[in-house]
Order: sequence, then C-alpha cells, then structure tokens
Amino acid sequence: MISIQNLVKRYGTFTAVDGVSLDVGEGEIHGFLGPNGAGKTTTIRMIAGLLKPTSGRILVNGHDLGAEPEAAKASLGFIPDRPFIYEKLTAGEFLRFHAGLYGMDDAAVGARATEMLELFELGRWEHELVESFSHGMKQRLVMSAAFMHRPRAVLVDEPMVGLDPRGARLIKDVFRRMSERGVAILMSTHTLEVAEEMCDRISIILKGQIIARGTVDELRALAHGASGAVAGNAPQLTEAFLRLTGGSGLQEIDEVL
Amino acid sequence: MVRAFPYLLAPSFWSSRNRARRRERGDGMRAAFFGVVALGVAGAIFGGAFWLTQQLAGFADFGDYLLRLGLSWLFLSFLSFLAFSGIVTALSTFFLSDDLRLLLAAPITARRVFHARFARTVGLSSWMVVVFIIPVLAGIGVGHCAPTAYYFVSVLAVTPFVIIPVAIGTAVTLLLVNIFPARRARDILMLMGLLFAGSLVVLLRMIQPEQLLRVESLPDITDFFATLQSPVTPLLPSFWAAETVFASLQGRLDLLHLAALWTTALGLVVVLAAASERWHFAGFSKAQEARKTRFTRFELLTRATRLLPISVVRRHLLVKDLKIFLRDVSQWSQLLLLLALVLVYLYNFRVLDLDRNPYMSGMIKNIYAFVNLAMAGLVMATVCARFVFPAVSSEGAAFWIIRTAPIPLRSFLWSKFWTGLIPVFLLTELLTIAANHFLGVAPLLRVVAAVSVLLMSLALVGLATGLGARYPRFNADNPSQVAGSYGGVAFMIMAVLFMLTLIVLVGWPSSMYLWYAANPRVTVPGYLTAIGAACFVAALVLSLSTWWFGMRTGIRALEEMG
Repeated sequence: MISIQNLVKRYGTFTAVDGVSLDVGEGEIHGFLGPNGAGKTTTIRMIAGLLKPTSGRILVNGHDLGAEPEAAKASLGFIPDRPFIYEKLTAGEFLRFHAGLYGMDDAAVGARATEMLELFELGRWEHELVESFSHGMKQRLVMSAAFMHRPRAVLVDEPMVGLDPRGARLIKDVFRRMSERGVAILMSTHTLEVAEEMCDRISIILKGQIIARGTVDELRALAHGASGAVAGNAPQLTEAFLRLTGGSGLQEIDEVL
Repeated sequence: MVRAFPYLLAPSFWSSRNRARRRERGDGMRAAFFGVVALGVAGAIFGGAFWLTQQLAGFADFGDYLLRLGLSWLFLSFLSFLAFSGIVTALSTFFLSDDLRLLLAAPITARRVFHARFARTVGLSSWMVVVFIIPVLAGIGVGHCAPTAYYFVSVLAVTPFVIIPVAIGTAVTLLLVNIFPARRARDILMLMGLLFAGSLVVLLRMIQPEQLLRVESLPDITDFFATLQSPVTPLLPSFWAAETVFASLQGRLDLLHLAALWTTALGLVVVLAAASERWHFAGFSKAQEARKTRFTRFELLTRATRLLPISVVRRHLLVKDLKIFLRDVSQWSQLLLLLALVLVYLYNFRVLDLDRNPYMSGMIKNIYAFVNLAMAGLVMATVCARFVFPAVSSEGAAFWIIRTAPIPLRSFLWSKFWTGLIPVFLLTELLTIAANHFLGVAPLLRVVAAVSVLLMSLALVGLATGLGARYPRFNADNPSQVAGSYGGVAFMIMAVLFMLTLIVLVGWPSSMYLWYAANPRVTVPGYLTAIGAACFVAALVLSLSTWWFGMRTGIRALEEMG
C-alpha cells in the first residue's frame, strides 16, 4: 500500500532523510519511531506530498507520487501533527469541502459526513464553526476528514497529541478497525506505549536513516543483543528504543537536578 | 529585584531589533522603495506647511487668525482619530495579545502590566499621527521663523495631547470588553470604524468643496469661516495643544493650556490605572471564555453555486473561499470602504462642470475618458493587491489540506483566478461605463475603454494571483500584511507600469482617430492607420502575455514548493 524506496531529502548540505526505504502492507499498522529531529516528520511530509524529495520513490496503492500525484493522493488519508483547518467553516462544511476535493459524489457526502462525525463523537458540533473547537476536537475533525473518502492507506503524524484518554482510546479503536478492513497505516509517534500496543511492525529512524525494523519482540531482542547484556530479560520497548537510539540521558538529568 | 515596567516592553524592542537584523530577499528593494516614498511624502507635507504659513504671513493679523484656526483643526481632526485608534489598539494590547497569558501568569503587579501595556498602546496608536505632525509643525516653524523654544514646546504639547485620547479610548475598551466578549467587541468596533470612515468620505464629498472655487459663492465665505470656528471649543485638548503651539510660535509661553494638557493626561492615566486594576482581569478572563459563535450559514450561496457550469472541485473551492470571506468581518467590511470610495468616484464625474467652457468641453471630455481609465486601473490594481494577491496566502496553515488533496495545484490557482476575476472585472467595468456615461465621451472611446478594462482585468488579476502564489506569506496575521510584502510591492510596481503602457497603446491611436474625425478635410495617412492597428495588437499581446506570465509563474512556484 505504502512503499518508499531510497528516499533522500537534503536541505543544502544537511541531509534530513538519508536513503529511507519502507513498506507498509495492506491492513498493517506500522510505527515510525525516532528521537526529535531524526527525520520522521520530514519523511511523513514527503509521503503526504507536502515536501519534494531530493531523490527516491514513493508509491501509494501502486501509484508513483512523483509521476501520478493525484492518483496516489486519492488513495491516501493524511493526519498532520497540528490540526490547522479553516476556522470560519463549520465541521460539516469542512468535511463536505474535503470530500469535494477528493471528487466524492454530492449525494453520498451528507450521510458519510454525519457517519464520520458520529464516529469521532463530533455529531452535535456539525454546525459549529471550527474556531470554537478545542485542540482535541480539531484533531478528531481532521481524522474524520482523513477517513471520509475511504482511503486505502493512512499517514498519521503524532496521533495522540492533545487528545484526552477517551479520545486516545477512540482513535486506537478506529485505527484497529480500519486496519482490519485492510487499510495500511503508517504512524509516527513519540508515545511508545501506543506503538507497543498497536503496531504490527516498527521502524526506528535516527539521523535520517532506518537503524532498526521489526515487531516489538524483534526490536526488544535486537536492543538486548546490542547492549551486550547476558541472555535473559529482554528490555521493554522504551528501554530498547533508548538503547538503540543512543542512551537515556538519565545520568545527565540527575546531574542537572 | 523588581524591574521597572519598561522591562516588560523589552520583548517588543528585541523583536523589532531581530527583525531589522534579519535579512530577507527583497529587503533592500523594499526599504529603498518605501524610504523614498516616505521621504517624498514627508518633504511634500513639510513643503506644503511651509508654503501655506508663508502665504498666510502676508495677511498680518488675518493670517495669524487663520493659522491659529488651522492648528485647532489639525489637532481636532487627530483627536477623534487617536481616540478610535486607542480603542482598537487597546483591545489587542490589553485583551487579545498572545503574550498576555505569559505576563498575567507571571508574578507581576497589575499596575506594572497596565503601565507597560498602556505605553505600548500609546505608541502603536499614535505613531502615525506623530510621523505626520512632525513635518507639519516643522514646516510651520520654519515658515514663521519661530524661535528654538517653539520646537521644544511642540514636543511638550504633542506628548500629552496623544496620551489623552488614547487613555479615553482605552477606558472605552475596558468598558466594552466587560460588557461584550472581546472578539465580538473587535468585530463591532471594526464595522463601526469602517462605517464611520466611509460615511465621512461620502459626507466630505457631498459638502461640495469645489463650490468654494466659484466666484459667485464668494459672499458666503464669512459664513464658511463661522462654520469652521464652531467645533473649536476651548474645552477640548486639541484647543489646548493648538493654543500652546501657537503661543510658542509667537515667542510666548502659554502655561495655562500646557498645564491643562499635562494635568489631564496624568490624571487620566492615574484613574485609568486604578480602573484597570479593578476591571482588567475580569475583562481578560471573559475574553478567554468559550462562546457560541454567531454566523450565517449561506445555504442559498451553496445552492446557487450548484447552478454554475464548473467542476465539483472548483465549486467546493469557490464556496469555501466565499464563506470564509463573508464570515470574516475584517475582510468583508473593507468592501464598505470600497463602496464609499466608488460612490465618491462616480459622484465626482457626475458633478464635473465641463460645459463651463463649451469650446474645450469636447476635447476635455475625451481626455477625461483616459484619466478615468487610468483611475479605474488604479482602483483595479489596489483591489487586486488587497483582495486577489493575498488569496493563496489566505489559506494560511491550512494549505496542507489543498496540497495533500488529489487535485492539481494548477486547478487550485485557476480557481483563485476566476474567483478574483469576476468581481474585479464587474466592478471596474461598471465604474468605467458609468463614469464615461456621466462624462458623455465619444462612443469609440467608450468601446475602447470597455475592452481595455477587460484586458486589464485579465492581466492584473492573473499577475496578482500568480505573484501571490510566487511570494506567499502563509504566516501573515492579515491580508494587508501580505499586500505590503515584497511580492505585493513588486505586483503594484508591475501593475502600474503595465497600466500606463496599456493606456498609451490604446490612447494614442484613439486620440489620433478622434482628431481626424473632428477634421474631416484631412485624410488619414496609411502608415498612421497601420501604426494605430499595431498599437491595438500590441495592447492585446501585452495584456495576454502579462496574464500568462503571472499564472505560469504562480503555477510553477506552487508545483516546486517544498
């Protein structure tokens, strides 16, 4: 569903993404982890069509984003980390506008919009202006829009930012149901518990390069081996992540405090 | 150690300093352009004040009387402007500014916050008046050979003069915000301000000042001065400031009025500080509270667009742009001012008394037709700079929605073009046709003007849309900021150059034709007909290529973005 091959992004002499390759299959939830500034958001923005890669190839549902951008984007749903939307539209109008951009038939849009708003618990806000929404509500509205046109693949940048526990639970359920229906989900996150709980496979990016990939268990085992520990207790994902990406920094925190 | 309140103003100074240090593309050109314009305007104001003062000096006591009256009027007209500016600025500095959350959460006394915010409000709302009044007072001083003390006293008089109306404006805001939510109050104020400005423009025009130039209206001059004298009341700070400045011009020191200015200013600040301590936090807190927004659904608009022969995507883009524009008071309210200016524009042509000189009237009417075309072009360029150029930037941080959607960015830009073209074309075409009708110009020129407006609309809207996409400012707070950016200035320069070239290209052959038509005994040489036709073709090519250049530049810029 989503396939990226040797993706590179350079800003002058600085290489933000350095030869990243990744495949997210049908129905798979793929976690994309890495410390701040590792290249996660840059990669996600390139797949969404917001940034032009320096080199490399991106395929969405078999369509090359560089050669057939409209066909590739039509199969994709994008949920950015910050939910900027038109403040002077109502939630319902925003969804209808979004559906229009994806060429959805007018007759089908009304029912689908109501269905999505109900799913994301925004039904009673359908006729309210977006400017009166909280951050979490805007985030849920963006998610409603991303699923509106029944995409084959979904790209999510930090899905849990600004969501309350109920909202977070709702999103996890929706993502699981979508993956069961065959939707491929590539999810960048800092919340390792979410990744551990939801992802079928995880890729870890550091300094623009993928340094590890596998299931949670595979990553834990990899980290265990990398640290040179004696066989036995494999670390939790958080510990594995910190080991793989270069240490926890806890010692420095102690010294400062 | 508790730092004095000016410390709270430091971030503003540091931000300005950092902005000045940061170099962006086009900064030099922009600074040079605005610098030359600003110096030119200041020089013209200084020259005008100097010349007028010297002329008045020739009328001895009557000249002094007129100068004194003029100063009173100058300060009086600034008084209302400052008060209104104070209301609007205080709304932002005291209640809506983002950094207020940081300041109010910090352990700073309410009085220090008030002093810092009030100093900022005074600075922001009065700088324009101060920048204008400096060359005026300097011109009067030099023209009147005033003593050095005049300049010091002027500074001493202007300072409390600007504080008083801004303090009153701030007090009004404090009251309003405690009654209405701050954001609603801002909308109400903005609308009131624009209605006030619009009606003022129309009213000033309806007074028909051109009547004063007529010899037959001279007996009414004394009545006119009596009318001028009436609003100058000794109870207003504008009168005190004018009297203080006028006395120092004569080499005297009017301590009474100077003291009145300072005691009133300081008294108001003390009272306002106490009122702010009492009510500011309540108003600020109210401004944070969520409210149910009132807005219009525009269902009819949505239904009407379904009748248009355009694609689904274009229709949705159009509906979205129209709804966002019509729901934003700061956007659509600008149309009221535009409407007022249009009315004045048409009224001017309606009252032009060209028949006073029958021998010249025919020729002058036709010359006016081109003046009208140039004016219409200027109106069009201004409307394009203000409404069409910021169209892409107005997507702001939500532009990701368009960029991730499966639509070619070219379609998006063309949608912006058509949304801008239709109202701009209709407005300017109607203006031109109506003005030419009032003038009674030759039929040929009416057709030439109408076609020229169509060509101008295509070229200028295309150029504005394209350059707006080439130089977007997605983080701008408002469209005026976008219009004043490097790209906006570049657009205005290109638009004016285009317009002047077009008018020459269509004006020269048209006037030649009319000259030969008025002198039927002279035959038109063949080469002139050929040059005339070439000029019309060149006008067409120039317009279409400007349109093409603009849109192509914009589409390329969008496609290469990122």
